[in-house]
Amino acid sequence: MNLYEYNAYELSSMLKDKKISSRELTASVFDRIEEVEPKVGAYLYTNKEAALAKATEIDNAIANGEDLGRLAGIPIGIKDNISTKGIPTTCASKMLENYKPVFNATVIEKLEAEGVVMTGKLNMDEFAMGSSTENSYFKSTKNPFNTECVPGGSSGGSAAAVAAGEAIVALGSDTGGSIRQPASLCGVVGLKPTYGSVSRYGLVAFASSLDQIGPFGKSVKDVALLQDAICGYDKMDATSVNRSYSSLYDGLSENIAGLKIGIPKEYFGEGIRPEVKAAVMNSVKELEKKGAIVKEISLNSTDYALSAYYIIACAEASSNLARFDGVKYGYRAQNCDGLVDMYEKTRSEGFGREVKRRIMLGTFVLSSGYYDAYYKKAKLLQKRILSEFNEAFNDVDVIITPTSPFEAFKIGERSGDPLAMYASDICTVTINIAGLPAVSVPCGFSASGLPYGMQIIGKKFDEQTILNTAYAHENIFGAFKMPTL
Amino acid sequence: MMIKGYEVVVGLEVHAELNTKTKIYCNCKNSFGLEVNTQVCPICMGMPGTLPTLNEKVVEYAIKMGHALNCGINRICKQDRKNYYYPDLPKSYQISQADIPLCHDGYLDVIIGDDVKRIGIERIHIEEDAGKLLHSDKFDGSLVDFNRCGVPLIEIVSKPDLRGSDEAKAYLETIRSILRYIDISDCKMQEGSIRCDVNVSVHKPGEPFGTRCEMKNVNSFSAAVRGIDYEANRQIALIEAGGTVVQETRRWDDAKGESISMRSKEDAQDYRYFPEPDLLTIVVPEEKVQYLKDTLPELPNAKIMRYVNDYSISHYDAAMIVDVPEKSAFFDKCMNVGCKAPKLLANWVLGEISKFMNEGTAIEDTKLTPEKLVAIVNYINDGKISTAAGKTIFDVILTEDKDIDAIIEEKSLSQVSDASALEAIADEVLAANEKSVNDYLGGKTNALGYLVGQCMKASKGKANPGIMKDIILKKLTK
Amino acid sequence: MQIDIKRIAKLSRLRIEESEAENYENEMKNIISMVERMPEISDELTIDADNVMTLRPDELADVRISRDVMLSNAPKVVAGCVVVPKTVE
Repeated sequence: MNLYEYNAYELSSMLKDKKISSRELTASVFDRIEEVEPKVGAYLYTNKEAALAKATEIDNAIANGEDLGRLAGIPIGIKDNISTKGIPTTCASKMLENYKPVFNATVIEKLEAEGVVMTGKLNMDEFAMGSSTENSYFKSTKNPFNTECVPGGSSGGSAAAVAAGEAIVALGSDTGGSIRQPASLCGVVGLKPTYGSVSRYGLVAFASSLDQIGPFGKSVKDVALLQDAICGYDKMDATSVNRSYSSLYDGLSENIAGLKIGIPKEYFGEGIRPEVKAAVMNSVKELEKKGAIVKEISLNSTDYALSAYYIIACAEASSNLARFDGVKYGYRAQNCDGLVDMYEKTRSEGFGREVKRRIMLGTFVLSSGYYDAYYKKAKLLQKRILSEFNEAFNDVDVIITPTSPFEAFKIGERSGDPLAMYASDICTVTINIAGLPAVSVPCGFSASGLPYGMQIIGKKFDEQTILNTAYAHENIFGAFKMPTL
Repeated sequence: MMIKGYEVVVGLEVHAELNTKTKIYCNCKNSFGLEVNTQVCPICMGMPGTLPTLNEKVVEYAIKMGHALNCGINRICKQDRKNYYYPDLPKSYQISQADIPLCHDGYLDVIIGDDVKRIGIERIHIEEDAGKLLHSDKFDGSLVDFNRCGVPLIEIVSKPDLRGSDEAKAYLETIRSILRYIDISDCKMQEGSIRCDVNVSVHKPGEPFGTRCEMKNVNSFSAAVRGIDYEANRQIALIEAGGTVVQETRRWDDAKGESISMRSKEDAQDYRYFPEPDLLTIVVPEEKVQYLKDTLPELPNAKIMRYVNDYSISHYDAAMIVDVPEKSAFFDKCMNVGCKAPKLLANWVLGEISKFMNEGTAIEDTKLTPEKLVAIVNYINDGKISTAAGKTIFDVILTEDKDIDAIIEEKSLSQVSDASALEAIADEVLAANEKSVNDYLGGKTNALGYLVGQCMKASKGKANPGIMKDIILKKLTK
Repeated sequence: MQIDIKRIAKLSRLRIEESEAENYENEMKNIISMVERMPEISDELTIDADNVMTLRPDELADVRISRDVMLSNAPKVVAGCVVVPKTVE
């Protein structure tokens, strides 16, 4: 077995016991990158030299008996919308093609302190807008299980890199499903943490009230390890929640006897492919055999969640992306005739089509005369959705749904029709609207060998219970098997 | 104030920069006049991924002003984004407050001539300032300095209760005075730390309000006066010529003394306000709101009334002292250490102290203490020294840490008020000036002045002139 | 539902080519029609007083980033300032 195929928690012990060095491990990951990257295209930027130097530094620190984090020496990939000081952070946009942040995101500072080895920056849909990574200005990433298919999105590079062994673990961001949906399509584990548990400082904002950084891994344990490393209160982020965060990794337990699982019928309706429903229900049955109690529940407002989501997300995005105006950083159009011309040319040339579409939609719903009919209504709907979840969680501990209504689709298959693409998100957006934690775990394969994913949703800050459920599930269905590339 | 039979209605939006140590949403230094783009960080330069954190002092300062202007306090409120594009606004939105301002529905009593007029305050909210654009004819382009980005501002919005530029000026001066007294703004006009937008409309008395125009870029109080007068006259002329005033935003050009239309109502900006998602709810504990009210210092108007009522100082003098917080603070300290003559003290504060302060010297730059000034004033009041001697002593103690009595002793400045000593001098002088005595007795009353003068000379200036005069009069009429 | 796509584009500081305008308009209309299925809600939007923010103490930063670094991503810099096309009010 190659080193890049191992889980982070296994490699962590091997490094600690000095069975392997971080340099060997990092070299193995970079060999893998060189081998499969032409087929997968997960990375926008790699820096092998810096990574190997860092690995050596960590090896020395381990040799000196320094107290390092559990992820010390582990190669990790970072989604390209997370600010890395002096390292390009493009958000997969022409707008930021040459932009290098002058500061690190809080999560990067935390990972640096932990001693991780950063492999590079991962591809994504431009400004995290999309569900297929086809909206990247630079390139599209392929699904390691079938390179004719998309890896999902927007964190498609992160999911694909982990699935292909091009990174041991990775960070993504999730605004409406951008971690869980690609995790599902690439057969890996992806966690969207509770809103406010991971600092957003340095995450280039798409929709501030919905965005959350989260981990990808091949196993539940890896996701727990990475989440432990990045979570916590940050005084730089006013929306981060000041509470104690106990170790999810240490708290992992596969004992789910008595766990009450809610199955919301609205998530098993028409739009969901029957095979996906069957796979999820099969998993639920297995969990039931382990002692879980399954209940059917109802979340009435689910049908409207996608609308509320697109209004809130686009409204915030239209404002968040207004700063890209060619003045202080990023792309500036040439040969402009005055200020307004510079703004319009810069933004029209610098942004891709989906980004422009969402900026326009967001501008529209906030514009005078429409605010009440759209934005205000969406916020009211958000309140209703949240209270429905709260009510449901009075009766159940976790809620299980499909992650994506369908498995990975062919590149180009949905890119022409925004609504067909938005349908990818129908099971995931509600969770962002409600600010809840949810994890996607693989739950079987289609006839053509593409992974299915199951979403486990928990109460606010109850990541432990959903990861325990995921862990029990993983122990039933077996460990991740890397696709042949 | 009426112009050509029209009443001029004015509403003011005052923007005051707060004198906190750091900016409103980041911990960059809040200061003026430093080298371009040196007081900036990723947050106030709006770099991707950065987030705002609200400075607690900004909230406190705004609440103080709210109390000073008798406002209700929305201790639970939020911030909103105001979206527009301009190169001095790095995020392309300004974090401000829309529907729920921190303070609302207050009033300010403004002294206008001999009257007190109550002006309604609609709201006070907190927001961030923008940067500055620098222009040069020699350079094809504009330069952006982001230093001022994120400097905390409060915006104080009055109701349209002001009539004409005189009232507007009095209102602005009162606002400035309060800002200084509660020490939340430096109020330096030349540094742009107070700016205002002016709303003007005109109408015939008894008729409904006219259509208003908003004037931006009014950077001084005198500019506000000129701008209001100009705008009122423009609107009146328009109406008189049979035209109608259209609602629009105009820009005041103080150098040219005219306002220029910026945009009409039709192409008004659509700011697309919505709640700032990067910040949560502002909740100020009730006890804190109360504490800020309880610890508010005495406000200028109350102080003026106290000086007039308790000390019988003229309204004009009281206002002059109160206009400068340092003078008024010094005055109060003097009263607290036993000054027996408040009116005399007022003369000294407005005379000698103002003289050196006008030259740019602060009281704390001198060796003057309240105790020493009070000693001088009380001695003059008691007749122990003359006013002239008082000034001599004052000049010494400004620069030297010397005892007043020692100076009096050293320079022999004490006045002789002892009757027997003065009578001896009087006898001597009367004996030596027989002609003048006879002149006086013959009806030439101005001879008295000469005789008193001779006595003063004989006493080497130390005689108390009042008592001296009484003694001579008594002797002459004997 | 009429959408003034030109006005929205102008507010967004985006330029939509004549040839694209119809396409954008149709896409927007589709999305809006999805959105318009939202139910009527009579509640009022209130401030969430439970979602309280911690305010920042008024204390100066101890680390400063130099001007050169701060302006290192700017497209055009002259004399320590970012340059933009001349602004005229």
